[in-house]
Amino acid sequence: MQTTIQLILTSLQIGAVYILFSLGLTLIFGVMRIVNFAHGHLFAVSALVVAYTVPWLASGGIPVLPAYLLSVLAGVSVAMALGFLMYIFGFRGFRRDMVGSFILSIGLVLLLDGILLKTFGGAVRPVPEILPGTVTILGAAVTVQRFALCVAAVVITGVLYLALTRTKLGKALRAVSIDHEAAMMQGIPYNRMALAGFMIASALAALAGALIAPVTIVSPVIGADYLIKGFIAVIVGGLGSVPGAILGGLFVAAIETFGAFYFDPSSASIGIFLLVIVVLLVRPKGLLGHG
Amino acid sequence: MTITTRMKSLAFGTSLGLFATLGAANAQETIKLGLSIPLSGAGAIWGKGSEFMCKKAAQEIAQAGGVKVEGKTYNFECLAYDNKYNAAEGTRVAQTLLNRDGVKFIAGSLGTAPVQALQSLSERQGVVMFTTAWGSSIKGPKFPLTFTQMNTAFEIIPPLIRYIHGLHPEAKSVAMLNPNDATGRETEGVSKKVWTDTGVKILSSDFYERGTTEFQPIAARIASLKPEVVDLASLPPADAGVVLRELDVLGWKGVKVIAVGTGVDGLKATGGNAIEGVYMGAAVIFDGPTATSQQKAINDEARGVLGESLNSIQIGFYDSVYAIKAAMEKAQSIDPKKVGAVLADVSFTSFYGNKVDFYGTGTYGARQQMRLPVSISQVQDGKLVEKSRIVPEGN
Amino acid sequence: MDNLKLPWWLAGTAFALAATFLVRDAYIASVVNLIAIAALTAASLRFVMLMGELNFATAAFVGIGAYATGAAITILNWPFLAALLLGGVVACLVSIVFGYITLRTKGPYFLLIGFAFTEAVRILYSKSSALGGTSGMIGIFPPAALDAWMPTFIMAVSALLIFGLYVLERSDFGKILTAIRDNENVARTVGLDILLCKIACFAAASFAAGIAGSLHAFANNVISPGDFSFLVAAFALAYVKVGGEDNVVGPVVGSVLLVILGSYALGLGGQEHIFYGGAIVLAVLALPHGVTGLAKRGFAALSGRGR
Repeated sequence: MQTTIQLILTSLQIGAVYILFSLGLTLIFGVMRIVNFAHGHLFAVSALVVAYTVPWLASGGIPVLPAYLLSVLAGVSVAMALGFLMYIFGFRGFRRDMVGSFILSIGLVLLLDGILLKTFGGAVRPVPEILPGTVTILGAAVTVQRFALCVAAVVITGVLYLALTRTKLGKALRAVSIDHEAAMMQGIPYNRMALAGFMIASALAALAGALIAPVTIVSPVIGADYLIKGFIAVIVGGLGSVPGAILGGLFVAAIETFGAFYFDPSSASIGIFLLVIVVLLVRPKGLLGHG
Repeated sequence: MTITTRMKSLAFGTSLGLFATLGAANAQETIKLGLSIPLSGAGAIWGKGSEFMCKKAAQEIAQAGGVKVEGKTYNFECLAYDNKYNAAEGTRVAQTLLNRDGVKFIAGSLGTAPVQALQSLSERQGVVMFTTAWGSSIKGPKFPLTFTQMNTAFEIIPPLIRYIHGLHPEAKSVAMLNPNDATGRETEGVSKKVWTDTGVKILSSDFYERGTTEFQPIAARIASLKPEVVDLASLPPADAGVVLRELDVLGWKGVKVIAVGTGVDGLKATGGNAIEGVYMGAAVIFDGPTATSQQKAINDEARGVLGESLNSIQIGFYDSVYAIKAAMEKAQSIDPKKVGAVLADVSFTSFYGNKVDFYGTGTYGARQQMRLPVSISQVQDGKLVEKSRIVPEGN
Repeated sequence: MDNLKLPWWLAGTAFALAATFLVRDAYIASVVNLIAIAALTAASLRFVMLMGELNFATAAFVGIGAYATGAAITILNWPFLAALLLGGVVACLVSIVFGYITLRTKGPYFLLIGFAFTEAVRILYSKSSALGGTSGMIGIFPPAALDAWMPTFIMAVSALLIFGLYVLERSDFGKILTAIRDNENVARTVGLDILLCKIACFAAASFAAGIAGSLHAFANNVISPGDFSFLVAAFALAYVKVGGEDNVVGPVVGSVLLVILGSYALGLGGQEHIFYGGAIVLAVLALPHGVTGLAKRGFAALSGRGR
């Protein structure tokens, strides 16, 4: 029982990051019908900026928590600026062109790989502990930092969900993702919606990167692992579906956790791929996918 | 298939040929040393440091008057290409180094798969090759021109585990973790055997894919087995740090070993205080009493370039250059076959400050392994402290 | 079956083969091998694009072909040609099973499932000690007599298979594939078994990919799981896109350009990715129809002015 609780908690902690990641992927796909492999680099840029600025600010005498919050702001801003550039100079011309946008994103992946390595170096960056200590939930130990990350992820997901269902912008985004031509006929400006969707997704990746920076290995290649898991999560959940992304993220995290616990981590990786095949066999558009 | 396409490839070929001849004409006094190393991806930092160390040694040799062979003076030039850690790119690098640039000496190569690709060409063409790759299948009488430039699992693990067992005879069980790659598999084989021989029970031995970022599940698995020792044998420092931190959160206490751990920087970056007491067998200490002022100076320069301290992998690229120099001067030749033939008999001063020669007949069937000291160290108050230094015996 | 432009094919292939006869420099020979294998891989990828799907599993099938050939040579000691053929056949058989399951999905799902398959297959190789585990297989040599003629041989096999795919594309089967791409439901209403046609297309392309893998194994003599990451398919797509996807020559042109560019970029060390990635981004942004599209337009403009 103790073990099960610990594993469930672990799944939730890992899943929190996957959810933020896959929400962005599913949003971009829904609005623009593109597959963006460079999404992981927005995440990496944000994490790297945080890892650089926290020690720098802290050495200037600022207490670690405010230093971290300032760094999060900086990381998210830089990553969103990068996302904006990507959209304006790249993906804007490839809306609803899956093959074209995909190859563009592969070019961007290589380009950004090289640039990040050159700018930040390959060394792993230490981020000081922001919130020290551990808490015990139902007898299972969780660090305060991880717990805060989960809370933040839940809040962000909740805000996004409300925004998509309650606000005018959110409704417009959903309309575009279901049928963009019908939405345009209703007077929804598709171009603006595409940009909005892309930027919200960039912000989600940037926030995820900034949140995970204190608890993981921050290096320029950090995005790749999360990107693959994020994509698997959205295939399982159904591309374009917000609840699907959440469900998929938790599903992947659970398989990863239980698989690694009862078998070994590299078998768990194969297990995740087998899961995708099984899901697609039963539901070719993912668990909650539509149209 | 248009004609223009083919014309382009022809024109390309001709221009390459021209470059090659031009290069050969003015390269009389310089001997090119090839490097096949990762310069992108997760291994980039090792590759960059390796290139730095090769260049450092070449620069020192040039300042000290070069390599003197039959009255002529030669200098070294290091030529590095990115092998991306796989065989296909390793082949491209090998082709470029040997067949385009005309390199006759490989001063270092990193990664088992690309090294095998390089070796299949270098041995056939009579090119001397140094490597950090560990596989025992890479060395031996079948590959007379291949030499290892760093201590491998075979050298490090037996003395390290015996030492730890001597300090903690009460510890009777161990859980092991390795990355799922050639180095990890090779290390696991050696560690498993030595732990078992020492009378320690192996509770589990797992592998994970390189590039993994979430280590909580495996930490939960290891903690649930309640081992007295955790051996994160060949984990990269940053990964090992995360695993130790997660184990700490789960309340696991015991003997921590990173058998072939190479350094404390990455470990501390991710592990924080959870790395206290870790034993390592391949770390180099630059802030202890054993470090020379020259070592410190080079390391400070490297830290400026790389952002972290040098490790034993990168240092191998410094030692190999001196080994090649010593062999050239002993053979009084720059013919790779003649140089390779005397390499096993030379000795030279290594980065670690002592005279080093080649041994390994017992393990590999040929003297192809540098006799480098095995340094056993432990993290104490966040710093590495050398506990014991063993110079291997035998020939 | 309409005009196959046979004279052009014969001239192009003969010229390519004649060029390989002239290559006696080992390095250039290795670049020629890379180009021929890249072109075949790209042609395989493009063939599945005819029915509107982006097949990232191409990378997996290149790997399966290479590993089948490697196993046939080093473990079973099969003769050269049989081992070569085995690579294609095994890739083809696996693709039929894989296609039967996954070709019910479309678009991004099919793309991403192919991607996942590629990574899973790679982990499987690394866990199999019979296949050399993570360090891969060594000693996959062609017969010694053929050693000097490998570029010619690889070029010939590659040209033959690309021609084969071209013939299929121009046949009625090719028209069915285009119909499926344009509107699957219309194609279904005329009584076609869409899934069967898709699997046939997929299997043919995978056979070619498998042979590309076999050639890769023989050209490099060494293979490792890391060789067959999704990047193989990503690069193949880059060849198709840069060369132009509208005709069969495009992937070939793209392969020649990008492989040569890549050989140059290798000398840039850490900056290689910046250079190569930048080249792909620029090409995609500036040349929507690839180099062949640009050439075609340029040619049309010139002849228009002539009149």
